[in-house]
Amino acid sequence: MARLQRDAGKSNDHNTMSNKEPQEPKKRSFSQRQRNMASGYMFISPFYLLFAVFGVFPILYSFYLAFFRWDGLGDMEYVGFNNFNIIFNDPLFWKSLYNTIVIGLMGTAPQLIVALLLAFALNSVLIKYKSVFRLAIFLPYVTSIVAVAIVFSVIFSNQESGLVNAFLGMFGVEPITWTRAEWGTKVAIATMIFWRWVGYNTIIYLAGMQAIPSDLYEAAKIDGASLRQQIWHITIPMLKPFIIFTVFTSTIGALQIFAEPHIFQGRAGRPEGMSIVLYLYRDAFGSNFFGTASATAIVLFFIIIVFSTMNLYFANRIGRSKKVGVK
Amino acid sequence: MKEERLLSAILVTAMIAVGCSSNGGVGEEDAGNDEISIGSEESEVELSFWAFGTNYDSLIEEYTEENPNVTISIQQVDMEDHHTSLFTSLSAGAGAPDIAAIERSEIDSYKRAEDKFMNLYDLGASDLESDYLDWAWEIGSSVDGDFLLGVPADIEPTAMYYRADVFEQAGLPSEPEEVEEMIQTWEDYRQIAATILDKTGKKMVDNSEPVFKAKRDQASEHYFNETNELLIESSPYMKQVYDETARWIEAGYIDNSEMGSREWRNAIQEGDYATLLGPVWMSETIKGYAPDDTNWRVVSMPEGAGNWGGSWFTIPKETDHPEEAYEFLTWLVAAKQQMKSFEERGTFPSTPDVYDDPDFTLPTDDHFGGGNVAELFAEAALEVEYVYKGSLYEDVNEEILIGLDNVYDGANPEEEWPEIINRVERRVFR
Repeated sequence: MARLQRDAGKSNDHNTMSNKEPQEPKKRSFSQRQRNMASGYMFISPFYLLFAVFGVFPILYSFYLAFFRWDGLGDMEYVGFNNFNIIFNDPLFWKSLYNTIVIGLMGTAPQLIVALLLAFALNSVLIKYKSVFRLAIFLPYVTSIVAVAIVFSVIFSNQESGLVNAFLGMFGVEPITWTRAEWGTKVAIATMIFWRWVGYNTIIYLAGMQAIPSDLYEAAKIDGASLRQQIWHITIPMLKPFIIFTVFTSTIGALQIFAEPHIFQGRAGRPEGMSIVLYLYRDAFGSNFFGTASATAIVLFFIIIVFSTMNLYFANRIGRSKKVGVK
Repeated sequence: MKEERLLSAILVTAMIAVGCSSNGGVGEEDAGNDEISIGSEESEVELSFWAFGTNYDSLIEEYTEENPNVTISIQQVDMEDHHTSLFTSLSAGAGAPDIAAIERSEIDSYKRAEDKFMNLYDLGASDLESDYLDWAWEIGSSVDGDFLLGVPADIEPTAMYYRADVFEQAGLPSEPEEVEEMIQTWEDYRQIAATILDKTGKKMVDNSEPVFKAKRDQASEHYFNETNELLIESSPYMKQVYDETARWIEAGYIDNSEMGSREWRNAIQEGDYATLLGPVWMSETIKGYAPDDTNWRVVSMPEGAGNWGGSWFTIPKETDHPEEAYEFLTWLVAAKQQMKSFEERGTFPSTPDVYDDPDFTLPTDDHFGGGNVAELFAEAALEVEYVYKGSLYEDVNEEILIGLDNVYDGANPEEEWPEIINRVERRVFR
C-alpha cells in the first residue's frame, strides 16, 4: 500500500494537476494519487473522527470553559481569569499538587527500579517457568483498578486488626489510620500504584532486554565484567529508549492519579489523599463548578508538560557516563 | 503442556477474583444496565423511564397491560450513574428520558434548571397535593412554590435501632416500650451511652455521621437559607450539633466505622454497637448482614425523626409525550402503587393514606421483636418537617464530616470548627 502510494505520487509529481493526458483514458474526477490519499484518510478516519468528538472537542472546550462560571445546567458567565485566581488562592489546590507529586514520586521511582531488576531476573537464563512468572507479574496491570483499591483498603484497614496494622503491631507500632493519616494515606496509595504498574513496566523492559544481542554480554563476561557492571554498562544504556518511554508514561500517569485515592478514601476524598485530578473531579462533578475545574485541568496540563520535559531531559542522560565505550 | 495448564488456572483464578469484587455495594439491588422495554409492540407511545435503586418492573407490567397504547422502556442503574447520565443529557439538551427519578440529595441542584423540566402543576399536579406528605411535596417544588419539579415516590424516615442484648448486659430495660420511655431526649441518650460504655465497654453508635445527621435534621435551618446564603457560621444550630457530637466522640460513645464497610458489617453481626440511628431501609440492611440475629429492635428517634433521602419523579422538558408521561408518573406514585412497592420492595410510601391500611399496620417482623415496624416509621414520617437544603448541601456536609473524623483522630473541636468553615467557604464560593 505504502509502496503503491509512493509510486503513484512519483508519477504525478512532475506534472501535478495538468496531467490530463490519455494516460488515464476513463473519465475520472480524481487522479490516482488523490484517490489513494482519500482512501488512506478514509482508513484512518474512524479513529480521528472519534478522537475529534471525544478528544479534541472536550480539550478545546475545557480551555474555553476555564474562563467562565458554569454549573452545567444554567447560563455561562464570563469571568476572565477569576477561576485561576480562585484555585491559586485555594490551599487545597496546592495541597493536592503537593500530594500528587509526593505520591507520584513514592509510587513510580521505586517502581521503575524494581521493574528493571525484575525484568533482568526474568530475562536471565536461570529462571524456569518464565511465562508463568511473566504472567504473574503482569496480572496486576489487567486487574480492575476498583478491585485493587478495594483489596488494598482491606489490607490498609484503619482497624487494629487490619493486615498492615497487625503486622506493624508485632513490632510495637501503634495502629495507623491509613485512610486519614498524612503519610499513611500516601504510603497506601503509592503502594497500590506500585503494585499495579510494576508489571507493566517490567514487561516493557523485558521486551527491551530481549532485543539486546547476547554477544555483548558474552564479550563482557569474557572480559571479566561482573553482573553489576553488565547491568550498568550494557543493559541500561541499551535500554535507554525503553527507559525514556516508561519514565515519560509514568510521569504522566503519576500526575493523573485518581481512582486509587478516590476509592481508598471514599466519599469526596480528604485533604491527605487529594490528588489534582480528584480535586478537579470533585469540583466539577460533586459541586458542579465546571469553570474552576477546567482551570485546574489546564494548570495540570502545563504541569504535565513541565514535568515530562524535565524527566525526559534526565532520562536522556542515563547511560551517558564517561566510562561507556571506554574499554 | 503443564505450563499451559498452570497458566490457564492462574488466569481463571484471577478472573474470578476480579469478578467477585464488582459486587461490593450495600443493599444495592442488582439492576442490569440495559434498558428493558415493557408493553405491547403495537403501542403508539413509547415512554422512557430512568430510575435507580428500586425495581419497578412488575408495576410497569401492570400499567402497560391496562394501557396497551403505552410501552415503557426502563433503565435502572445505580444511583450515582443514574444522576450522572441525567445531568449530562440535560446539560447537552439531548437524550433525557420522558420520566426521571431524582434523589433527595440531588433534587435541589436540578431546581436551578427549571427550564429543562415540565412544571407538573401545568399538567394538573395541584389536585394531587393533598395525597402526599406536606414536607415531601415541598421538596419537589421550587422555593416560591410556583413550580413543581417532581412528585415524591418513596421516602426514608429515620428511627433508632438498638440491641436488646446490649441493653440487658448493661442492666437496662430492653423492651421497646421501656426503651422508648427511657430515651426521650438526646440527654437521655447520652446518659444511656455512658452507662453502656461503663458496664459493657461497648460504643453507643457506629459513627459520628448518623449522630450528626439525626440531630441536624431536628433543626429548623441547616446549611443554607432559601436565598442560598451560607448559614453555618451565623446560625446557632449547626455549631451546637457539631459541639455535642464532638463531645460524644471525645467521651468515647461514638465509634468510627463507615457504614457498609467490612468492620461495620462485622460489628452489626457481633452486636458491637448499642444503637444505630438510621432510616427505614436500615432494617433490611441489618437483616441482610445478621440474618439469624433477633436482638435488634426499633424505637422512635430521640426528639423527633428526620428523612435521609428518597426519590422524586420528574418529567424533563424534552419529552414528546408530556401527558402520557404525567399519567404514568402519577399512576406510579399513587397511594395504591406505593403500597405495592412497599410490600414488594420495602420502599417507604410518601402517601399518608396507606399508613392506616391493614396491610401496612398488621404485618409483624420477627427480626425486630415481633412487632409491626412500619407503623413506627409512619409516625416518624408524619413528624418530619421540611427544611431547605440547597444545591451545595452535600459539599458542606462532607466538610463537617471530615472535621468530625479529625476530632475522632484527636483534633481539638474548637480549633477544628473554624477550619471546617474555611474549607466550606473555599469550596462553595466559586
